[in-house]
Amino acid sequence: MRFPDEGVSIKDEGSKTEFSPKILSFLCNWCSYAGADLAGVSRFQYPTNTRVIRVMCSARVDPIMILEGFVQGLDGILVLGCHLGDCHYIHGNYFTIKRVKLTHKLLKQAGIHQDRLYLDWVSAAEGERYAKMIAWFIDEVRKLGPFGEVEGIDAEELKERAKVAQGAARSDKLRWLAGKEIDLCGEERIGIQGKNVYGEQVSKEDYDILMNENVLNEYTRSGIISLIRENPLSIKEIASKLKMCPAEVLQHISILEHAGVVFLTEEEGRTPRYIGV
Amino acid sequence: MPKDVLVIGGGVSGIQASLDLADMGLKVHLVEKLPSIGGRMAQLDKTFPTNDCSICILAPKMADCFGHENINTLTFSEVREVSGREGDFKVRVVKKARGVDETLCTGCGECIEKCPVKVPDEFNMGLSERKAIYLYFLQAVPRIATIDRDNCLMITKGKCGICKKVCQRGAVDYDQKDKEITLQVGAIIVAVGFDPYDPRNTSQYGYGRCKNVITALEYERLICASGPTGGHLVRPSDHKEANKIGYVQCVGSRDVRKNPYCSSVCCMHSTKEAILAQEHNPGVECFVFYTDIRAPGKDFQRYIKRGMAEYGVIYIRGRVAEIIQDEDENPVILYENTETDKVEHMKLDLVVLATSLVPRHGINEFANLLGVDLDNFGFIKTDPFNTVITTREGIFACGYCQSPQDIPESVAQASGAAEKAAEICFR
Amino acid sequence: MDQSNLLEKRVGVFICHCGTNIGGFLDVEDIEEYTKGLPDVVFTQRNLYTCSEEGLSQIKNGIKEHNLNRVIVASCTPRTHEPLFKRVCSEAGLNPYLFNFVNIREHCSWVHMHERKQATKKAKDLIRMGVARVRLLEPEEDIEIDVEPACLVIGGGIAGLTASTSLAKRGFKVVLVERDATLGGLLRDLYKLYPICEDATNVLEGRKREGESYPNLEILTSSEVKEIKGFVGNYEVTVDIQYPRHGIRIIKVGVIIVATGAKVLIPEGLYGYDGKRIITQLELEKRLKEEREKLKRLNNIVMIQCVGARGDKRAYCSKVCCMVAIKNATLISRLNPEAKIYIIYRDIIQVHGTEYEDYYREARDAGILFVRYHPENEPVVSDEYVKIYDEMLGEDILIPYDLLVLSTPLVSWEDASNLAKMLKVPLDENRFFLEAHVKLRPLDFATDGIYVCGTCHWPVSVPEAVSQALGAAARASIPMANKKVRVESIISEVDKDKCIACGLCASVCPYKAIEIKKTEGGKKAEVISASCKGCGSCGASCPMSAITMHQFTDEQILSQVKAVLP
Repeated sequence: MRFPDEGVSIKDEGSKTEFSPKILSFLCNWCSYAGADLAGVSRFQYPTNTRVIRVMCSARVDPIMILEGFVQGLDGILVLGCHLGDCHYIHGNYFTIKRVKLTHKLLKQAGIHQDRLYLDWVSAAEGERYAKMIAWFIDEVRKLGPFGEVEGIDAEELKERAKVAQGAARSDKLRWLAGKEIDLCGEERIGIQGKNVYGEQVSKEDYDILMNENVLNEYTRSGIISLIRENPLSIKEIASKLKMCPAEVLQHISILEHAGVVFLTEEEGRTPRYIGV
Repeated sequence: MPKDVLVIGGGVSGIQASLDLADMGLKVHLVEKLPSIGGRMAQLDKTFPTNDCSICILAPKMADCFGHENINTLTFSEVREVSGREGDFKVRVVKKARGVDETLCTGCGECIEKCPVKVPDEFNMGLSERKAIYLYFLQAVPRIATIDRDNCLMITKGKCGICKKVCQRGAVDYDQKDKEITLQVGAIIVAVGFDPYDPRNTSQYGYGRCKNVITALEYERLICASGPTGGHLVRPSDHKEANKIGYVQCVGSRDVRKNPYCSSVCCMHSTKEAILAQEHNPGVECFVFYTDIRAPGKDFQRYIKRGMAEYGVIYIRGRVAEIIQDEDENPVILYENTETDKVEHMKLDLVVLATSLVPRHGINEFANLLGVDLDNFGFIKTDPFNTVITTREGIFACGYCQSPQDIPESVAQASGAAEKAAEICFR
Repeated sequence: MDQSNLLEKRVGVFICHCGTNIGGFLDVEDIEEYTKGLPDVVFTQRNLYTCSEEGLSQIKNGIKEHNLNRVIVASCTPRTHEPLFKRVCSEAGLNPYLFNFVNIREHCSWVHMHERKQATKKAKDLIRMGVARVRLLEPEEDIEIDVEPACLVIGGGIAGLTASTSLAKRGFKVVLVERDATLGGLLRDLYKLYPICEDATNVLEGRKREGESYPNLEILTSSEVKEIKGFVGNYEVTVDIQYPRHGIRIIKVGVIIVATGAKVLIPEGLYGYDGKRIITQLELEKRLKEEREKLKRLNNIVMIQCVGARGDKRAYCSKVCCMVAIKNATLISRLNPEAKIYIIYRDIIQVHGTEYEDYYREARDAGILFVRYHPENEPVVSDEYVKIYDEMLGEDILIPYDLLVLSTPLVSWEDASNLAKMLKVPLDENRFFLEAHVKLRPLDFATDGIYVCGTCHWPVSVPEAVSQALGAAARASIPMANKKVRVESIISEVDKDKCIACGLCASVCPYKAIEIKKTEGGKKAEVISASCKGCGSCGASCPMSAITMHQFTDEQILSQVKAVLP
C-alpha cells in the first residue's frame, strides 16, 4: 500500500456517515512534524481522526510502541519521518524502515491487517501532502473497518494477539535482527557495505528468511508465555490450546526455560507443568 | 571586553557566520533587508547533489539564529552608514517601519486573510499573489506580518483600516516610523548574496514574450510543495502539466557582452531541476542545452551521471540562437548543435532559463557606503589567497557576493569570515 | 519552589485562545472543564495569548501560587515557542524539563476549522496525552563538559598551516602534526599559483614564518598520529615523533582538525608515462621552478586532461586540473612565445567562477590551442605524436610533442582509512573524508569536536583550501572559546545493571556516541553525553530496555499511546 500522491482529496467524504477510525501518528520533529505545522499555517483542512506523538527522530519509534497502539485497539497507526537522505540524524530513518518492517511481520503473524500500519516520509515543505496523506490513510483504514473487522476476529481477542506480538517485539533476537540488517546486508543509498563477522555481505533474501523464521518462533514463544503466565499448564495442554504438536512446544519451552522466563512447577503425582514470568 | 560583530545579509552565509560567532560567545547584529531571514536558499525547492529539501534543512538554522541569545536579528533593516575603522566601527542602521509592532504580532495571519489588496508575491517570483499586509513566506522567521506601504490602501489612500480592526492584539500601526539604530562593532561581515539576471535584457531567449519561458528561480517555486501551485509542475499559460521541458544554460553568463563569468551553480541546479521534474511526473522528457557541463564539486559528476542514466535527462551541447513560441504557446528552441554543427529546433512545453546570477542591484552604492572595492564583475574584491579579506581592514565577505559559489562553499567561507572577525573582536 | 517533592505531581495546564485562532474554532471553555478532571491536574487557566507578557506572568503566578511542578501549555507549535515557555518556567523556579507542549493550533484548530465538535474532542485527547507524558517527566540538568582549550591539527599543508596559525593568533594552544620532515604539503612542489601567478614559495614561506612566530603553536614534523582516545573536549592523542629524537608524546586536546591533504595520481601505464618526456603537471611545476632554460627550448608541448579521472574507477572530476593546465600552458607560452601548445581536453574545460573564465579567454588569445576529445575516442600517444580525432575536421590529426604533460587528479592517501578509523569518522567511496552534511555542515564531522578542511575532503584550489581552513578554525574554536560544551538533556543513558554489552545500540548510533567499555561489572555500553544528539535510535533497538532516552523515554511515549483513547 502506497500513498498515491495524485488524485487524493483532503475532503473527508465518509466521516459523517460511517465509522470514524481512531488513528495515531508518530511524527519526527524536524520534517514531518514541521510538515504538519505547515499544513496548519496554510490552513489545509483534513479530517480530525489523528492524534499526534512527536519524537525527535522516527528512529525513536520502537515496535513495542506501535504495537501498544493496537493493544489499545486503535484502528490505524502512521509513522512519518524525513525523506530518505534528509534525516536530521544522518540516516536514522533507514533504521525506522527496518523497525516498521519487523512490526509489519509481527502484525501479519498476529493476524492484524498490515495496512493498519503505514510508514512514509513528509518534508517540512509538504504541508498539503501531509494533509492529503492523513485523509488518504483515514480512508484506507475506513475500508478495513474497525479493529478486528477485516480480520474477522473479535477486537478483544485481536488486542490480546497484539499483546503477544508486543511480547515478541521485546525479544532480543528480533530486536537484534532489525537493528543489524543494515550492518549485515548493507545499504547502498547511505554507502554502507554489508559485512558479517567473516566480512561477507548477507543477501537480503537470506535475511528475510531468517527474519520470518524468527518472527514465527518469537511470536509462538510469546504466545506460550502469555498462556501460562497466570496458570501453569503442561506441554500437552499448551499444545492443544495453541493447536501445535507437543514436540514443538517442548522445544520452545526448553528455550524459554533456558532464558529464564519459564519455570517448571512440579507437584507430586501430576504431570509437570510450566509457568511463565 | 570582546567587541560585537555586524553581519549584513540574512541568507545562509550570513546565518552561518552569525551562528559561529554567537556560539563563540560574541554578540552579533544580523541586518537583513527583507522582512524575514532565509535568503535565496529559502526559495529553493531541493538542493543538489542530495536532493535535500531546502527549507527543511534551513528552517532549523533560521530558528536557531533568531532565537540565539547572542544574536540581535534586525529584519526589514538596512545599513546606511559605516564609519570608523577595524576594531571600532560605528554603523548606522535603519529599521524600516513595518507597520506592525513586532512585540505584539503573533503571526496568526488574521489580518492577511482579511486584507483586500492583492499584489504579486516576490518570494514566489510573482507567480502568485500576496496581500498588502503579508508574511514574507510561510516559514518566515520572525513570524511577523509586514505592511507593504506602497500598496496598503490605508497608507496610500487613507481608507480601509481592516487589518487594524481585525488584529486582536492591536499590533497594526500605520503611523509607525523608521527607526535609527547605531551600532558599535569591531568587525563587519558582508553576505548580501546575489540577484538573478533579468533575461529580458537578452531578448533572444524570449522571456517576457513567450509565456512558457520561465527562469530557474521561478521554476524552483513552481515545483516546491509549498509554492504557488502546491508543487504541480504546470505551465503558466494554461496550467497544463508540462511533459517536455528544456533547460537552457548560461543565459546571460559566459558572454563577454553581458556577464563574462560562469555562474558556477547552474549546470548542477538545472540537472537537479530535471531530476525533480522526473520525480514529480515520471516520464516527462527533459533536455538540458549546455555550453560545457561544469560539475567539479563533491559527488557532482555522479549526480550528472545519475541524471542521465536513472532519470533519462538528455544533455544537448548547443548554442541557443532564439526561443519563439508557436500558436499554442509552446516554446520552440532554435539552436546550433555544437556536436554536429547543425542548426536544429525543438518544440517544448516549458523552457527554464538558467539565468546568470549577478551582484545585487545597487552593489556599487553599497560598496561605496562600506568603503570596499568591487572586482571587474561587481563582486566584492578580496585577497586572491584569502578570499574573505576585502580591501578595507575589518570588513570581510562571504557567500555569493564574494564570487559565484554553491551553498557548501558559501557556508565554509562564512565560517572563514567568522574566524577573521573573531580574531579582531576577541583581541 | 521546593522541587524535592516532585513525587506529588501537581500539573498546571494553560490553554491558549490565540485570539480567535484557537478560540474561534474550538470550545476552549469546554476543553478547560474537561482538563480539570484529568489525573494530577490541580490548576487550569485560559489565556487570550499565552505568549503575551500577560500570559507569561499568568504561568509564573500559577506555578508559584499553586505550587505546580509540571506545566503544560496547549497552544501553537513547540518548534517555535517551546524555548520561550521553558524559559518562563525556569524563571518561576520550575525545572524547564518539566514543561510539555501540546499543539492545538497548527495540528487542530487551523486544520479543522469547520468541525468544531470533533476538533474540540481532538484537542481534549491531545491534552490528555500531554498530561500523561508530563506526569512522567523528570527534572533534568543541561549537561556541561569541560573542554581542554587546545587543538590538534593533523597535516601541515596550506590548509593545516592556515588553520593552526589562525587559532594560534587567537591565543589557543595548537599542536600541528606533520608526517613529512617539512611543512607545506603539495605547495612545496608548485611553481606559481593561479589566479594571479603568485610564487607558491612566497605564499608558503609567508605562512610558515607567521606560524613559527607563535609560541603557542607547536609544530611537530616527522611525526604521526598513532592513537586517538576520548571525545569532544577531551581527546588524548598519541603522537609518534621520528625526528630529531624518536619518541612518543601523549597530547591532550579538546578539538581536532583534519587537514591531511591529497596527492597527485602518478599515471603509471597511461599514455606512455615515463616521468621524462611524458610527465605529470606536478612534475612540470618542478621543471618550471628549476629548469626554465630547458623548457624554453621546447617547441611542441601537449597536455592531456582527465588522465585517470572521470572514468569507471575514479569517476570524479578533480576540479583544479583544468586551471592548472591553463596556467602552466600560459607560463610556458610566456617563456617561449613561439612554442606550439595544445591542451587536449575531454568534453569540458572546468573553469568556473569569475577570474578563471578570463584566464581561459586570455590563454586562447595567447594562441594556446584547445582540442576536445570524446571518452570513446581517447588520444593515442606514440613516440613522436599524439593522435587525436578532431571533431571539427572529422578526421584524426597528429600533434607532435617534445613534452607531453598529463593532467592527473588529486587522489586520497592510501592510509586515510587508518586515520578515519582512529577518529571514528567516515570516508566516501573515493576515500575522501565525509563531512556531517553535504550542504550545511561542510567542515564538520558528524562526531562533535572533529573538523575537516582542504584536499583530504575533496580537491580544491589554494584559495578555497585557505577559506575552508579558516572556517574549520572558526568551528573548532567554538568549544575552546566556551571552555565547555553544553548539551540539552535530550540524550540517552545506559542502565549498567541491565546492559549486556551486545553493542546493538553502538551500531545504530549515527554519531558513534556509544562505546562499549570495560567496567568493574564487565563490559558495558556507555553514552558519550557530549556526542549524543538525542535521536533515540538506540532506545528503539536495545533488547534489554537498558536505555533511557531522556525526555522521550519508553514509559513516556507508551503513556501517550495509552492515553490516545479516553
